[in-house]
Amino acid sequence: MKTFSIGGVHPDDKKISAGCKIEALPIPKTVYISMAQHLGGPAKAIVAPGDKVKTGQVIGEPTGFISAYVHSSVTGTVKTVGLRKDLAGIPVVHVEIETEPDQWADGIDTSDTLVTEIPQDRQFIIDRIKNNGVVGLGGATFPTHVKLCPPPDKKAECLILNGAECEPYLTSDYRIMLEKTRQIVVGAALMKKVLGVQRAVIGIEENKPEAVSAMSAAVEELGKVSRDYSGIEVMTLKKKYPQGGEKQLIDAVMRRQVKSMGLPIDVGAVVQNVATSLAVYDAVQKNMPLISNTMTVTGDCLPADRQKNYLFRIGFPLSYIAEYNGGVPEKAVKIVSGGPMMGKAISNFDAATLKGSSSILYLTAEQTERKPESNCIRCGKCAEACPMGLEPFLLNKLARNGMSDELEDNAVQDCIECGCCLYSCPANIPLLDVIRIAKGEVIRAMRARTAPKK
Amino acid sequence: MNKILVSPSPHIHAKTSTPVLMRDVVIALLPSVIVSVLYYGLSALLLLAVSVVSCLLAEYLITRFMFKAPSTVGDWSSSVTGVLLFLNLPPSCPWWVAVIGAVFAIGVVKMTFGGLGQNLFNPAIAARVFLLVSFPTFMTNWAAPKGFIGGVDAVSGATPLGIVKEGLAQGMTLPEIYAQHDFSYLQTLFINIGGSAGEISAIAILMGFIYLLARKVIRPYITLSILATVFVFSGIFWLINPDQYTDPLFNLLTGGVLLGAVFMATDYVTSPMSDKGGIIFGVGIGLLTILIRYFGSYPEGMSFAILIMNSVVPLINKFCKQKKYGR
Amino acid sequence: MTTTIIWTIAIITLLGVLLAVVLYLVAEKFKVEEDPRIDEVEKVMPGANCGGCGFAGCRAFAQSCVEAMNLDNNFCPVGGNDTMKKVAEVLGLEVKEKAPMVAVVRCNGTCANRPKTNEYAGYQSCKVKAALYSGDTGCFYGCLGCGDCVSACQFGALSMDPETGLPVVDEEKCTACGACVKACPKRIIELRNKGPKNRRVFVSCVNMEKGAVARKACKSACIGCGKCEKACPFGAVKVEHNVAYIDFEKCKLCRKCVVECPTGAIHDVNFPSPAVKPAPKPAAGPAQDGAATVKPGPAVSKAVDGAAAKPAASAVTEKKVEPEKKSEE
Repeated sequence: MKTFSIGGVHPDDKKISAGCKIEALPIPKTVYISMAQHLGGPAKAIVAPGDKVKTGQVIGEPTGFISAYVHSSVTGTVKTVGLRKDLAGIPVVHVEIETEPDQWADGIDTSDTLVTEIPQDRQFIIDRIKNNGVVGLGGATFPTHVKLCPPPDKKAECLILNGAECEPYLTSDYRIMLEKTRQIVVGAALMKKVLGVQRAVIGIEENKPEAVSAMSAAVEELGKVSRDYSGIEVMTLKKKYPQGGEKQLIDAVMRRQVKSMGLPIDVGAVVQNVATSLAVYDAVQKNMPLISNTMTVTGDCLPADRQKNYLFRIGFPLSYIAEYNGGVPEKAVKIVSGGPMMGKAISNFDAATLKGSSSILYLTAEQTERKPESNCIRCGKCAEACPMGLEPFLLNKLARNGMSDELEDNAVQDCIECGCCLYSCPANIPLLDVIRIAKGEVIRAMRARTAPKK
Repeated sequence: MNKILVSPSPHIHAKTSTPVLMRDVVIALLPSVIVSVLYYGLSALLLLAVSVVSCLLAEYLITRFMFKAPSTVGDWSSSVTGVLLFLNLPPSCPWWVAVIGAVFAIGVVKMTFGGLGQNLFNPAIAARVFLLVSFPTFMTNWAAPKGFIGGVDAVSGATPLGIVKEGLAQGMTLPEIYAQHDFSYLQTLFINIGGSAGEISAIAILMGFIYLLARKVIRPYITLSILATVFVFSGIFWLINPDQYTDPLFNLLTGGVLLGAVFMATDYVTSPMSDKGGIIFGVGIGLLTILIRYFGSYPEGMSFAILIMNSVVPLINKFCKQKKYGR
Repeated sequence: MTTTIIWTIAIITLLGVLLAVVLYLVAEKFKVEEDPRIDEVEKVMPGANCGGCGFAGCRAFAQSCVEAMNLDNNFCPVGGNDTMKKVAEVLGLEVKEKAPMVAVVRCNGTCANRPKTNEYAGYQSCKVKAALYSGDTGCFYGCLGCGDCVSACQFGALSMDPETGLPVVDEEKCTACGACVKACPKRIIELRNKGPKNRRVFVSCVNMEKGAVARKACKSACIGCGKCEKACPFGAVKVEHNVAYIDFEKCKLCRKCVVECPTGAIHDVNFPSPAVKPAPKPAAGPAQDGAATVKPGPAVSKAVDGAAAKPAASAVTEKKVEPEKKSEE
């Protein structure tokens, strides 16, 4: 069974909500749609207070090459357009909409019928993806149309669909692989078409055998429908964190490694999450903008009957979802959006959901409280765990002494912030906290050095 | 819900900690400790207690009154040093030698560099060498076993390696020495004849090794590379001249090679970080041990080899980095 | 025996002489010609190598002084005017006297003024905390309290007050090198004029949020009401982005703004007596003590929060006219 070659850790699986079917959340009275739901330039709001909007109507336009459209997820009246705090308390422009019963914008197919016919016009597919605001849903929310249009001097060879879901607790990708199996395969075929590649691999970790068999069956079934579905395969991967990291997945599937500061396309790979594939299907085949996604509400301290996978629309306040779920459990001290390894701790629970929201995870004090830092015992467990082959113990020391040249020599810029080092450190040294900042500074310095030459 | 915690990711932690790792090492040492106490009797138990207590006390006093910092006794690392020190002493040695060793190990070797994680040399090994040089009579005069099991009378004598060295110096050949002293491998495998407290049973040490591997406390590379080097290197000499050079198996099972390779060379602080570095480190220890045994004046060599290789660890760390992704 | 000793001595002497010659030749060959004045200038420098002047260290600064035509662009904030005079003497140049500066912490979000909304549990560093989120209070702009400025200070002039959770500047020790200004990710610390007899007035808040939001997060936040701007007879106060800023070049330390500030965000330090309104009227009476001390009295906050705000404000505008006239006379 394949996996990536360097490092990795094995945190407890804890897929508690794996058996829970996806439920659609009712629409709250007010939604707040952020204009910064993707990597790159935030969208510019094109509605004003008092405007009536329909579900699926464009309310934010991209502001640059790397940016994306934002659509209204509800029907209603725009109340305000202004700064509102996101989940980290940082002010971001939001459009506040008072909701009414759904009225879909024109041209959106809201039926459930599966459309398997692949459009042959490449540009048509890209335009649909772009106009419907599809972004990567694996965490980074990078605009998908940009990723699917590699520079002409680089040739894509393989599309990799990331169904690893290596973070503990999260089950939303798993659920869509079970419930929207064929849509995901169609999405993969669409992206294969755009990229002009012959091969697409859907990588799924071994702890999800049902997903593997369901996806394999769908691939086989659709393979009989049309030639567009040939060359898609399902690959079972060994369970190891961070399997779902872009660079790690490429290593696992293709046995190739992306150069430092390089892009996956350099080795001929394009990686997309399975949820993105579903969004691509909706965007292209149904002309449905990306206004909803699946999220897991879970945690050890949450009763079994409240472990849920919800279909939410963007702009729902997190606190509304928690209320609907029955409130924040008594023992939770930390609420995380995303997985426990790379997710963001929420400080502002009134923040709204984004395109890339994947979970509300409740952690107890016992699970999450950091113990006091003690001396480094030079055990090397951090270096052993680092999937990029770095030496976190060294980077930590260099960073604390502000030695930026040495940090660059020791490849701090390659850090993927997966958290394996801090996770495995027996001395509880906040390795990643320190390294993350140093990485930012080094990358900034490197950019500043190369910029004037251009 | 009283408070919301906010911190950078990751939000969970593997259930390891320094005290847990160190406690695992102590547990792995237990078989050897039990065998030696059973074998050498109450005096060994007393020596163990003295050695551990004085290590803990030294650490406590230094951290509290010299560093004026919270005591780090709770991290179990000085307990490991204490037990290892005991296993490195001949059971017949007086209790105050253990106290001096403990104070040297903790006070000089460990704390002068800044405490746990900062020391260049393994405290227990450095203390053993310090005692060997300072009190050669106590440290080389091994009491032959007399304890709860194996009722041999207490006879002072030299270790097998010492006997061999002395015999060779007198111009005897190895077969002659073996015939005179009646060695057998089976004996060394289960219960050794004479030696420091930790050396009596190879099986007990290997049990500890397996425990450490199973608990993922250490990786096997350092230990295996030492053992392999000792075996191969001494094997070459033995094949050249079996009369002059002791055979590989004999070298593996005597003179603390196993104890050193499993517990002392694998000490986190004083061994290289990477597996590649670990192998270089292990090969170095193996070569030095055999060279000292065959050509040096000390019969045993293991502790010197480890100390010498300890001093090159920073260099090894600098040049042996693990392979980085995409480079 | 004797011959051995003689031989040894002879050989070692010879070797010594030989090596000395080699050393001399090498030293000659690789000699770096340097302006001797650099050494002289460096001698009068404080030698802290803090980088406050903008150069890599005292020697780099000295080198730049020697190379420069005049000393207008070079100033050692640590040594101040005395050092610069000495430098000028060495180089035979003129130097303009600069007013001494001091680091000022522009945040008054004490634990009492600014309640915590969550608990930060990561690495205790403002940089890390600022990169992660808005901080453990409702204020996005205020001090994060992890003490990056304290560790950046080479002169031991900064310390964290455990009660308020804010850094405190020791004026005696502060050299205005600016290390803390660079270290603060929230740009709260500013180098300001030390002022005559160390007296100075400054706005102790950088919150750019609208008044109501700022007040909700912190009792002593600047709400951008603009009263201080109107009160200032010298045009030294400007309200921009909902926060007031006092230009220390223009400020004449009349402290009218201090009295006017409804939240106590404007601080005056080292004045012998608290700022008092020239003609106190009953409506705004409690503001007297609230303005000068760190914590505004509860009466002040009530007056602003509630409906009483309007009458109080009108009373204030009324009064403001009088002192202005007086000062003009």
